[in-house]
Amino acid sequence: MRKLIRAAILSSAVAVAGIASSAALAEDSITLSNLSYRTGPFAATGIPLMNGQRDYIMMLNDRDGGVNGVKLNYEECETGYSTEKGVECYEATKGESIVTQPWSTGITLQVLPKSNVDKIPILAPGYGFSAMQDGKTFQWAFNPPASYWDGASMILSNISDGNLDGLKGKKIAFLHLDHPYGKEPIPLFEQMAAKHGFTFLPIPVGLTEMQNQSAQWLQIRRERPDYVIMWGWGAMNAGAITEAVKTNYPMDQFIGIWWSSLDGDLKLVGDKGKGYRAISWSLPNSEAPVMQDIKKHVVDAGKSLINQGEGEFDWVFYQRGVMISMMLVEGVKAAQEHFDAKVINAEQLRWGLENLNIDEAKLEALGMSGMIPPFSTSCSDHTGHSGAWMLQWNGSKFEQASDLLTADREAIDALAKDGAAKYAEANAPWPVNEECKM
Amino acid sequence: MELLNSILVKPFADMIAAPDFLLQVLWEGTVSGVLYALIALGFVLIFKSSRIFNFAQGIMVVFAALTLVGLHQNGVPALLAVPLTLVVMYVLAYGIERVVLRPLVNQPDIILFMATIGITLFLIGFGELIFGGENKRMITEELMIPTGSFEFEPFGGFVLMEQKDIVAVGGAILLVVALLIFLNKSKMGRAIRALGDDHQAALSVGISLSTIWVLVWFIAGVIALVTGIAWGARAGVSFALEVIAYKALPVLMLGGLESVSGAIIGGLAIGILEKLFEIYWGQPLLGGNTETWFAYVLALTVLLFRPQGLFGEKIIERV
Repeated sequence: MRKLIRAAILSSAVAVAGIASSAALAEDSITLSNLSYRTGPFAATGIPLMNGQRDYIMMLNDRDGGVNGVKLNYEECETGYSTEKGVECYEATKGESIVTQPWSTGITLQVLPKSNVDKIPILAPGYGFSAMQDGKTFQWAFNPPASYWDGASMILSNISDGNLDGLKGKKIAFLHLDHPYGKEPIPLFEQMAAKHGFTFLPIPVGLTEMQNQSAQWLQIRRERPDYVIMWGWGAMNAGAITEAVKTNYPMDQFIGIWWSSLDGDLKLVGDKGKGYRAISWSLPNSEAPVMQDIKKHVVDAGKSLINQGEGEFDWVFYQRGVMISMMLVEGVKAAQEHFDAKVINAEQLRWGLENLNIDEAKLEALGMSGMIPPFSTSCSDHTGHSGAWMLQWNGSKFEQASDLLTADREAIDALAKDGAAKYAEANAPWPVNEECKM
Repeated sequence: MELLNSILVKPFADMIAAPDFLLQVLWEGTVSGVLYALIALGFVLIFKSSRIFNFAQGIMVVFAALTLVGLHQNGVPALLAVPLTLVVMYVLAYGIERVVLRPLVNQPDIILFMATIGITLFLIGFGELIFGGENKRMITEELMIPTGSFEFEPFGGFVLMEQKDIVAVGGAILLVVALLIFLNKSKMGRAIRALGDDHQAALSVGISLSTIWVLVWFIAGVIALVTGIAWGARAGVSFALEVIAYKALPVLMLGGLESVSGAIIGGLAIGILEKLFEIYWGQPLLGGNTETWFAYVLALTVLLFRPQGLFGEKIIERV
C-alpha cells in the first residue's frame, strides 16, 4: 500500500511538475537535464543517485527560489542505462538543456564527439573516459572531482600503505563489468602492474552473469588473489558481494570503486559483509546543514522520491547525488557571475564548469563541509583530482576508513595526455582549445 | 604445440590435479543448469499448448518475486505471502487470457509473440510503479529456506554447497516431477498436450482453449515464482533478474521448444558445460566471460545437425 501511495504521489508530482514547469518557463529559468536510469538492471544504483540530484535542486528552488533568482528546471530522460536510449535522450534534450549528464561511460563515449558540434557541456562526475581530464582536448567534457584512473591509483595506494613497490609479487584480481565502464581503468592497472611488479588479473562479468557470478568466484578461489578490486554497477555489486560472502573471501581484501558502495547492496549481506571497502569522493553526513535543508524543504514536505523505510536519506549514493548537483549548480553560479547574466546558455555553463573553485570556505558556506574534498577545475584540467576516502562497511552502514587519499598524478597525467592525443587522432579533425595556455 | 597442449591436455590435467575443485565446478554448473531449466520450462509449457513464444517469461519471474517480497514488506507473513502471490499470478494469467490472447485467437504466431512483448513492457512499467526499481532482499529465512552451507573435504580438498542451492535444486526436481505427473496423468494435463498436438482436433472434442490458456499461464506463473525465489536468494530481487531469461533461449534451442524433458536436460547440459568450458578453457585461454556466448554456440552447433533441437518434434508439412 505504501508503494501505491508513493506511486500516486509520484504521478501527481509529475503531473503538477508538468503544469508548474510550463508556468515556470514564463519566468527566468534554466533547464538542467539528466539522462537518468531508474529502470532496468541498473536501477538499484541509479535511483538513489537520481533522487539525491533531484532533491538538491528542489531544495534550492524551494529555499532560495532557484539560483540568483533563476528557477532550475530539473528534467530526467530515462535511459535504463542503455547506450542507444542514452543517445536518443541526448538528442531529445540538447535543445532545451544547457548540460547533458549521460550517466554511463558508454553513453559518454557516444556523445563525446557530438558535444563539440552541439556545443553543450557533458558533466560526468566520477565516471566517463578518464582522459577527459585533458580540458584542452575535451573542451566540452567534465568529470570532476576524480576520474576512474584516480580511483584505481588511490585504491592501489591504500592497499599498499602508500608504497606501491610493496605490492611486488602480489596478485590483484580485477572483477569488472564487461562494459566500457568496467574496462576503463585497465590501462592504468596494467601500467602499474608492469612498473611495480604485481600480477594483474582481469575477470570480466557479462550482463547476463551479474546475478550468477559463480564462475568468476571459482576463478578467484583457484587463483587465490591477495586482493579483489571491483568495478561493479547495478546488480553486479550485490551479486559479487554475496558470492564473496559465500566463498569466504576475506572482506577486508575486497575493495570497490565508488559506484560499488551502495548501502542497499551491502544490506543484503549485513554483518557478513563487514570489512568490505570502497573508495569514495563523497562522505555521507545526514546532519550537515545542506542535508537538513533537504530534509526540511523536500523530504518532510513529501516531495522526495526516496525510500524512507530503507533509510535511503543516509545512504552514500543519495548524498553523492546531492554533491553531483552541487557541482552543476556551482558551475551555473560561476557562469552567472562571470557573464553578469541570470539566464545562462550552454557555452557559458562550459566556462563555469571550467572554473569551479570548490574550496573549504565554499563547502562551509554550502553546508557541506567534509562531504566532498575541495577541488578546482581549469581549462586544462576538467577533473580537479580532489582525492578520495576509503569507506568501510561496518555491518549496517559505511564509515570513513582512511584519511584523504591522493592519486599518482604523474602516471595519470602522462596516460591521460597519451589517451587524449590518441582519441583526437582517431577522431580527426578534432578541435582543441588553443586559447588555453595552462 | 603449446596451444594444442593448453586445449587438449592441460584442462584435463587440471581436473585430475584438483578433483575437489572439479566437483565444485560441477555442483555450481548443476545449480545454474537447474535454474536455467526452470526458466525454460515456463517457455515450453506455453509454447506447447498455444504455439506462443512467451517473451514475458523473464519479467514474470521478476514480477512474481517482487510480489512475494512486496507483500511481506507490507506485513503479510511469508508463508501466507506465497499463496497470495500465487493468487496474483492466477489473476495475471486470467487477465492475459481475457485481455490479450482471446482477442487474438487465430492470428498469426508472430502477432501473439508481439503481444507477449507488450505484456513484458506492461509488467516492467507496472512493476516499477508498484514496487520501485531498488534491489530487495529475498525473504529466504522467512520462507524457512536454510541459508547455511555444507562443507566437504573430498580428496583432501574442499567443496562448499549452500543449503539454499540444495533446496533450489530439490524444489526444482519436485516441481518438474509434479509437472510431469500432471501433464501425463491428469485430465487437464492431457488436454494441454492434446492442444499442443493438434488445436483443431482438441477443440473438436470439447477442450476449452481459454481454460487451458489460463491454466498454462498460471503454471508458468508458478514456475516463475519458484525461479524468482531461487535466483532472488542468490543476489536479491530486482529488475536485473529479467536478463536471466536470456539464458533460457539457448536451452530452448538445444532442448527444443516443445519438450519438457528437453528443457530439463538442455538446461542441465548448458549449465554444466558452460561452467566447465569457462573454468578450464575460457578463463585461461580466452580471458573469461565465455558464459555469455558459449551456450549459443553449443545450441547453434546442435541446430546444424538437428534443426528441431535435441528433443523437439520434427515437423513435416505437406504442401
